[in-house]
Amino acid sequence: MSANLSGVRHTRGFDIVKPLSITVMIAVMLPLVLLPLASIFIFGTANGLESFWHALTAPEAIFALKLSIVTSFWATVFNVVFGLFAAYVLSKYNFWGRNALIVTISLPTAIPTAVAGFALLLLWGPYGTLSRVLGEENVPEIMFTAWAIILANIFVTFPLAFGVIKPVFDTMNTSLEEASATMGATRLQTFWHVTLPSLRGALLGGALLTFARAVGEFGSTILVSGNLASRTQTAPLYIFAKFNEGQVEAANAIAIVLALLSFAIFSILFFARDYLETD
Amino acid sequence: MLESLANESAAVSIRDVSKKFGTTTVLDDINFDVAQDEIVVLLGASGSGKTTILRIISGLEMPGTGRVMLHGKDVTNLPARLRGTGVIFQSYALFPKMNVEQNIAYGLKLRRRSKSEIRKTIDRLVGMVHLEDHRKKYPSQLSGGQQQRVAIARALAYEPEVLLFDEPFGALDAQIRASLRREIRKLLKEIKVPSIFITHDQEEALELGDRIAVLNSGRIEQIATPYEVYTNPATEYVATFLGSANIIEGVIRGRTFQSEEISLEIPSDYDFRDGQPAKLVIRPEDIFLRRPENLMQNYQQLTEGVVEETSFVGAFERVGVRLPTHDGQRLIATRPKTETAAFQLYAGQRVTVGVVRFRILPDLTRLPLHANRAV
Repeated sequence: MSANLSGVRHTRGFDIVKPLSITVMIAVMLPLVLLPLASIFIFGTANGLESFWHALTAPEAIFALKLSIVTSFWATVFNVVFGLFAAYVLSKYNFWGRNALIVTISLPTAIPTAVAGFALLLLWGPYGTLSRVLGEENVPEIMFTAWAIILANIFVTFPLAFGVIKPVFDTMNTSLEEASATMGATRLQTFWHVTLPSLRGALLGGALLTFARAVGEFGSTILVSGNLASRTQTAPLYIFAKFNEGQVEAANAIAIVLALLSFAIFSILFFARDYLETD
Repeated sequence: MLESLANESAAVSIRDVSKKFGTTTVLDDINFDVAQDEIVVLLGASGSGKTTILRIISGLEMPGTGRVMLHGKDVTNLPARLRGTGVIFQSYALFPKMNVEQNIAYGLKLRRRSKSEIRKTIDRLVGMVHLEDHRKKYPSQLSGGQQQRVAIARALAYEPEVLLFDEPFGALDAQIRASLRREIRKLLKEIKVPSIFITHDQEEALELGDRIAVLNSGRIEQIATPYEVYTNPATEYVATFLGSANIIEGVIRGRTFQSEEISLEIPSDYDFRDGQPAKLVIRPEDIFLRRPENLMQNYQQLTEGVVEETSFVGAFERVGVRLPTHDGQRLIATRPKTETAAFQLYAGQRVTVGVVRFRILPDLTRLPLHANRAV
């Protein structure tokens, strides 16, 4: 395969272009990606594993990690369930304004996350739109709570899940569902036995993308959460706060955990999706 | 197409079915029956409405008017899942995340059959369609022909009222197509399941069908055995769509068909008015060409013409003959190899044109003379 991909070869025997191009590629990637990542691990463990462990198990750090994971988890659950529903409705039924709706749903991908957080504040915040319309006392105080973090996560990540699930619906052969119906299945049975299995890969992909993005979300979270240590401080906010306080080691410990988490998620995406999409 | 009462013994009865999409009439007063062990082929060009008929029988589409009956039971208002038809889709529509066995078992599981019964049915069907070695494979691991056999086994599993094949061979290459349709016809004849095929391929229709219904713009132009449809086409459309035909326009005069210097005696089973416009339909293989001085024996002499070109097309030779009359209309004749060897033809040669068999159809349009078509 790779021999075919290398195309026409103009030289016989040893081809200097191959090792040269590989070297150039690695040389560029090294300072851009590989070295920064390596530095996190080198620095984080420079004072020994014990001090790394100490930094990691600080109560504030543990709280921040937990908060990130819990809020990301609920955003993921929402995105998968409602993303599936939205994709189903939007590819199955044609109605006036459908395309406008699809564009709007996908829009947050292109919006800076700080703007997203700001937008949420302007809606839910104490002087926000909802308060003006309904009266301040009738609007639940969700800004600067974990709910706000979940809302921000959903706002930012929903297009990711939706964007993965929708194309699978669009390209799905409608005769599969028709075949199922002629064989005696109700709509629910068809959805459960025929439609859903074809979506397994997309659902897992959507879930992992959402989770990975939500766990690392910074821009919108810092605006809506209030960034209160041990109350509304997520892991990325913790890293930022500790770094500002000069506690590089504390920041670094959490950075290692987040980096490893990303590696893990990315590996699952890479290997499990291949497995899930095998027909 | 007159009876509006359901035929009690028929497996499928379609009565007065019409269908419009918006203002376009897709089906116009469709009536036909399929007997219990019969294969009926709906033959038509794309847009003739044949797929819509299939979808109406299976319940995937509602008829505008008319009724659908399966084994004497009116199912017109039943949803697809309660009709029990077996549809073999053009794309096969096998469930990609289920293996061969799971695909076959699906209809039975929906009917809550016991595990042992499902197992027995799978064993029997997998053997019947020769997929013993592929039971655990997924659709994407099977060839087109194998996928289609799975689709058939999957539909047969729940003992369907009727099998409906939607252009089942369209996605396969020519050689597999021919062998597979013979195999499927043999299978269907063995298990005696009423079947409806739709196709636009005349060869497929002739080979598969016990009867062929030729559809044109949402109407059935003729429904009869392949032999009958081919030799006695009811309309010009049937004559030219199923096989090729030379058409010569003329007029009935007494007991003869007249067209310029052509004069043919009409067989006694025709009933025409004197002076009625008519069309003479002749299959290319029913035309015989002789040297002008040779007497025509066993044939009716038609006219004289000049050979324009000959071309060799495998099993036979095709000859284009220009008539000096009829605005130089061209007739197409085909000759078997034995005859090409005995009597060679070349361009420019004068020949006598004779016919062994022909058909005369009333001409309801009376359009100006036009060239013979679709040869």
